[in-house]
Amino acid sequence: MRRGLILTLPKYDDVTEYLSAFSIIIEKISKEKGIFCKLLKGESANKEEFEKVINNLDCKMVVFNGHGSENTIAGNGGNILIKLGENEDLLKNRIVYARSCEAASNLGEKCVNNSEGCFIGYNLPFEFYFDPEWVGNPIKDNTARLFLESSNLAPISIIKGNNSNEAHERSKNQMLKNIRYLLSFLK
Amino acid sequence: MENKKDSKNIEINKRMKELVIARIDAQVPSNLRLAIGSYGGMSKEEMIEHVKKGDEIGSQIVKRHMLFLRSLASGEFTRALASAE
Repeated sequence: MRRGLILTLPKYDDVTEYLSAFSIIIEKISKEKGIFCKLLKGESANKEEFEKVINNLDCKMVVFNGHGSENTIAGNGGNILIKLGENEDLLKNRIVYARSCEAASNLGEKCVNNSEGCFIGYNLPFEFYFDPEWVGNPIKDNTARLFLESSNLAPISIIKGNNSNEAHERSKNQMLKNIRYLLSFLK
Repeated sequence: MENKKDSKNIEINKRMKELVIARIDAQVPSNLRLAIGSYGGMSKEEMIEHVKKGDEIGSQIVKRHMLFLRSLASGEFTRALASAE
């Protein structure tokens, strides 16, 4: 398996526009660290392209952005990239971060059974607040930043050499710090 | 802190809905939108409408608030907050 990263960046609604905009830093840091990064942007984030890329490049790490469910992870236009019982083996032995609703609750667990890989994701729907004023330029939205930068820390920490457990804890820790920061305004 | 099993175990009743509507009304700024799952962004008024209707999104919103309130009541949330470095 190759040292590298596949990053999906679907862009077809407000939510995926935000997820993709805030993911560009993941590509930037992987480049700084000399780690190969293949982007699947917009319409390229489809099942056919994803399967081709993962089979050909065989990257160790995969970062998904997009909608999901207990058994699926989607790409552009809701196109299903990974479906339990169909192609979850593609993720076996890899390091996976899925910023997709509920994908960790069943799909993620099945992906890491009898595997040397890991799956970091969410058991519940992924939620964040955003300011519609910035929909045309999500990266400037300081409200969404509080949610999306802390979730970014999971893949970024792994890229920087931390193990998956440390990466998960760093991401949670940053979210708690953000909550504490917001609560400080109530004093 | 929260998991899917806890979420599934919550039986939503009228009082919970009233409590969540009051929390949204008091706490959510009118200029922000909530992105939840594949439902896109919704305004504070739309969130309250979904909770009133008791549809799938409304149910998700109520369950998230109840999970948060439970972790607050048990001290779990405060401990986590205090442990953040």
